[in-house]
Amino acid sequence: MKLRRFVFLTLLATSLFGQGLDPAKLMKLSTDTWPTYNGDYSGRRFSPLARIDASNVTAMTLAWEYRINLGAAGEGDNASIKSTPLEVNGVLYFTIPDHAWAVDARTGRQLWHYKWETHGGIHIGNRGFGMYGDWLYFETPDNYLICLNAKDGTERWHVEIADVKQEYFSTPAPIVVRNHIIVGVGGDSLDVPGYLEARDPETGQLQWRWNSTPRKGEFGADTWPNQEAMEHGGGMTWVPGTYDPELNLYYLGTGNPNPVMAGQGRKGSNLWTCSIVALNPDTGKLAWYFQASPHDTHDWDAAQTPVLIDGQINGQPRKLIAQASRNGYFFLLDRTNGKNILSKPFIDLNWSKGVDAKGQPIPDPAKEPHTDGTLVIPASGGASNWPPPSFDPETGLLYVNSSSSYSLFYLTDTEDKPEGYGGRDSGVWSKVALKAIDYKTGQIRWSHEYGRGGGGSGILTTAGKLLFTGDPYGNFIAYDPATGRSLWHTHLPANVSNGPMTYELDGKQYLIVGAGDSLYAFTVLR
Amino acid sequence: MKNVVAVIFAAGLIPLVAQPPRPAQAPPGPGRGGRNFLISRDVPDRAAVERGQKTFVARCGFCHGSNANGGESGPDLVRSVLALDDEGGDKIGPVIRNGRADKGMPAFPLSDDQIKDVAAFLRSRQQAAIDRNTYTIQNIVTGDAKKGQAYFNGAGRCNSCHSPTGDLARVATKYDPVALQSRFIYPGPRRPRRGEEAQAPTIATPVTVTLASGQTIKGNLEYLDDFNVALRDASGDYHSFERGTGVKVDVRDPLAAHEELLKKYSDEDMHNLVAYLETLK
Repeated sequence: MKLRRFVFLTLLATSLFGQGLDPAKLMKLSTDTWPTYNGDYSGRRFSPLARIDASNVTAMTLAWEYRINLGAAGEGDNASIKSTPLEVNGVLYFTIPDHAWAVDARTGRQLWHYKWETHGGIHIGNRGFGMYGDWLYFETPDNYLICLNAKDGTERWHVEIADVKQEYFSTPAPIVVRNHIIVGVGGDSLDVPGYLEARDPETGQLQWRWNSTPRKGEFGADTWPNQEAMEHGGGMTWVPGTYDPELNLYYLGTGNPNPVMAGQGRKGSNLWTCSIVALNPDTGKLAWYFQASPHDTHDWDAAQTPVLIDGQINGQPRKLIAQASRNGYFFLLDRTNGKNILSKPFIDLNWSKGVDAKGQPIPDPAKEPHTDGTLVIPASGGASNWPPPSFDPETGLLYVNSSSSYSLFYLTDTEDKPEGYGGRDSGVWSKVALKAIDYKTGQIRWSHEYGRGGGGSGILTTAGKLLFTGDPYGNFIAYDPATGRSLWHTHLPANVSNGPMTYELDGKQYLIVGAGDSLYAFTVLR
Repeated sequence: MKNVVAVIFAAGLIPLVAQPPRPAQAPPGPGRGGRNFLISRDVPDRAAVERGQKTFVARCGFCHGSNANGGESGPDLVRSVLALDDEGGDKIGPVIRNGRADKGMPAFPLSDDQIKDVAAFLRSRQQAAIDRNTYTIQNIVTGDAKKGQAYFNGAGRCNSCHSPTGDLARVATKYDPVALQSRFIYPGPRRPRRGEEAQAPTIATPVTVTLASGQTIKGNLEYLDDFNVALRDASGDYHSFERGTGVKVDVRDPLAAHEELLKKYSDEDMHNLVAYLETLK
């Protein structure tokens, strides 16, 4: 009875103060809220919070833990938290495939749990929610966009955004720009075309669709040998993008072409796969593109977060965009027009013959997959992948957890028109390092070698002069972003599986990190 | 420090320290009608697939290709949205029986059972493309065994640790060529594939830990990160140490030569070595 009264009072209080998201909060990284996948539109994952800093981080301690319990019915579900939680008005919202939760941001107490009855699809991960006012949006492995009421987790509506029977599956967190819910799709098992869509926040109706490969007769069609190849050419849109409100451009890294490892049926550069593209979020029209991997045959999509940097080049203030790309290159572009400023590998590579006049890497045909195997660095998982990087404007460094990995790439389908992957790769060796890249030069300012293993942890930097991330052994670590010296760590039961995030409530800063099936909140007690 | 070790042992904390991180996801549930991580729809009955293949090759293959991936006049049915949408012939049946006069496809009077079998065959063709883990790697023994032998005894310096009559005697009978190529490139534990348990190191890595007091403990490495090191000594006892001030960790990686070679192999060297190792039968 007491509990019920408490719940009632809580609900009353929330309805008085409002639970929804003030859209103005999306424009700037605030201290009291984390309202979108990357915290703000820039993709920097740099928080202005400094309450936890180098002087007190050694006293950082566990505030609460929330462990997912799906029960027996959850067998086979993928309970690894890859989503970055949103935090709005004291409530955290996060997801895994088919499941969503709201928990109290101060205590980790569960407020609601929503479960979607799946029709199938690859359950590899989910990157979280987008939010518009009182409504939350997330995507499912069977390609539904679901709208929930943030107050109680009840479903408002769902719409299908792709066909699971064609092997699409969806993982990205929707990004909300004004009244556009921007949703992407994934799936490269069976040569389906990629696209990005904007949906109406009230109804889920389609506003526009941008195809990531051209249609017959369109600009870019000459980078494919024929209509069938480009309309089955892949280019998935599976990692949330970034947005510049002044330029009104949405930036997205696109997926690899299909068939993934057999390129003989799709000769050409295969636009706009493996590219950084700038789109008008009101119309879905392409403003510019830069192709990170022309004619990719190694599964090296360029989906990694393109990070917006307001920096200086040769003393001139510039609007820049940077990506530590899966193929091992760091790219710096002018985000007003896509012109390349810098292309420089951030790991040792053996597949590139340098870059062309546009700054785009030139792949070495000898390192494409062959029937008897080619030894290539990096492996298909890449030098980087979806785990979010971070840019610290105070150090001028872009931080990325990078893999140096060798793999044997085999071409298995030698037909003129291969299908599916058309090849396999078998990883033989991998080492992981946290790298700090000087955005102006591409030089590695410092590198912290973790040792053998695979990558997978996102990064957060803060004005407290701290960098938070995970290593391949289950440690959650705070580093000095200027030097890479470790300042604090704790060992969790699983590797950090998402991008850490932070917020301040009641004068207390919280650090939230997902590791496997649990969320952990850390703070410094006063 | 010795006391600290003793306390750790006494408190029974060893399993906690030694425990590897929980895998990031649960392994997929077994036996879901032949499904796996990549295949989320039912896998068709083998016999139905074989019957369907015979019907398909005889009646449909001329236009759609005997593998159903398209021909001169018929579209690819592996990628066909209609064929992917089909369940047991419900979508392809009407097309087969009525034909598509506008596209030049005649009607085929197949029985219900024949249509179901053709649907099973098409599903199996789709799943063969979808499930990349089942793709067959072709012949990889393409190199020159003599050149491989020369590399083994020359530039590769493989013979400084290995012998074709000693540890590598009959090695080609133990591993197929694909496994052999992968293992000589780097013999250490692989990253576990989805659903697999993490592999324990198969090759012992000697380690010496020197404590601030000057005491040294030798054994085989069990765990190493930036903050902790763990080893098992010659008597099988487990020891773990914080990598604090003054603690030195000296790891002798027996696979260091393999790691060095990764950067040096040309693909030709690699294929020549496979051809040479394949002669060791």
